[in-house]
Amino acid sequence: MTATPLDVGDFTVRAGEIVALLGGNRAGKTRWLETILGFRPAQKPVVLFGQDVSHLPVERRVTMGVGYVPAGRRVFAGLTVRETLEASCWLPAPARRRLVDEMLALFPMLGARPQARAWLLSGGQQQMLALARALMNRPRLLLLDEPALGLAPGVVDGLLGHLRELAGNGMAVLLAEQRAGLALRVADRAVVLSRGRILRTAPAAELAGDPTLADLMAEG
Amino acid sequence: MAYALIALGFVLALNAAGAVNFAHGDLVVLGGAVAVVAGVSLGLPGLALLPVVAVTLGAAGFVAARVAILPLAGRPPEATFVATIALAAIVEHGLTVGLGAAPLAAPSLVGSGSLEVGGLALGRQPLAILLVGGALVTAVWFLLERTQTGRRMRAVSSDRYMARAIGIPAARYIALSLALAGALAGIAGLLLGHQFLVAPTQGAGHMLKAYIAVALGGWGSVPGALLAALGIGFFETFVSAGLGDAWASAALYVGVLAFLAVRPQGLFGEPAGRRA
Repeated sequence: MTATPLDVGDFTVRAGEIVALLGGNRAGKTRWLETILGFRPAQKPVVLFGQDVSHLPVERRVTMGVGYVPAGRRVFAGLTVRETLEASCWLPAPARRRLVDEMLALFPMLGARPQARAWLLSGGQQQMLALARALMNRPRLLLLDEPALGLAPGVVDGLLGHLRELAGNGMAVLLAEQRAGLALRVADRAVVLSRGRILRTAPAAELAGDPTLADLMAEG
Repeated sequence: MAYALIALGFVLALNAAGAVNFAHGDLVVLGGAVAVVAGVSLGLPGLALLPVVAVTLGAAGFVAARVAILPLAGRPPEATFVATIALAAIVEHGLTVGLGAAPLAAPSLVGSGSLEVGGLALGRQPLAILLVGGALVTAVWFLLERTQTGRRMRAVSSDRYMARAIGIPAARYIALSLALAGALAGIAGLLLGHQFLVAPTQGAGHMLKAYIAVALGGWGSVPGALLAALGIGFFETFVSAGLGDAWASAALYVGVLAFLAVRPQGLFGEPAGRRA
């Protein structure tokens, strides 16, 4: 139970911790997340919750307790909010319905329109749906890929607030983000990427005051 | 109604696989052939053939998914086109060798003759087709809209990558969709096989009707495909009653072209914005 949620050799994410994965447009953030999930072959073993999952397919890793909020949200266009949440849950039916209601209460933006088809939602609502969908398995590790992209500042604040609260309840969060300032507002530690390689790993407070960060990020 | 079943299976397979299954028409013929063999040689009555055909063709759809669709999942849709066209040819020629090229009659569902309802003489076979078709369409609707399995099938159709990322074993769900599509095609073959007979070369015709229904209904839209298939059925029946079969076919294609010229997105638009 105390096993580290994520260990990829080069860095770890511990329970209750938010780690920012920083890097420019082509730095390889998505590549890292997809490697952790199993969409791409890994160079080094990927260890989830103390177990080497390198040989497991995506769907098995996810049901171990990993939530994924992909770049561009990728909501299921034709499914309603409620259907999306139900389809993403592997608990028995009564527990599933309770959890759906819990999510609709947690995200009032979604609670207002549970029967709306996902493609009709606004960008902010879709992002909340993508986050709620990732939480439907009660994950212990949450991976997010540029979740703040294209959102209004107020919605971004709400999103970061949710992440803080989730980490406060013991979830491990890995947040891939291009805008370092934004990610460092919530992160405990940060990993800086450039061209797929890790340039440095440091506490968020240290990086936030570091004038060379902009240069590191600009290298792409 | 039989067209509706063909089109329903076709659109399910299309959405799940992300590409047209060109062997779908031949699965219809195969269903008819299974009905002929099981009905004539084993002497099974019409209604008992329904589950036999459904299970056999469900298995055939599953095999089609495993052989021609899933191995090519990472390739462009054209690869699936070619593989399923090959599969169609295998089924067609296999049937020609196995059963001969001459058309055969499938058994009727509940005997022939007609029922007198309120002064109208209704054929028993068309009535049975209507009931079986209606029941199956309702069942598929319930599966897709009201069950967890159906929601997950739709999620896989919508975004296979993301479906896997929420823990859905996508390959298994695609195979399931294809099995369901096969079962629907097979039953359609059984229903059509009594009146229109079963011949190995009919596959392309069924395939074309289904394709037209899906194009008219809106690419990928399930209700659109159903509605369009019913429309095509009515159109053919009434026009061929008035003008004869040849004119009916010609008029159908002219009508389809005219409709698509006015409304290229079909009846229900294009929900996923995907073409193949």
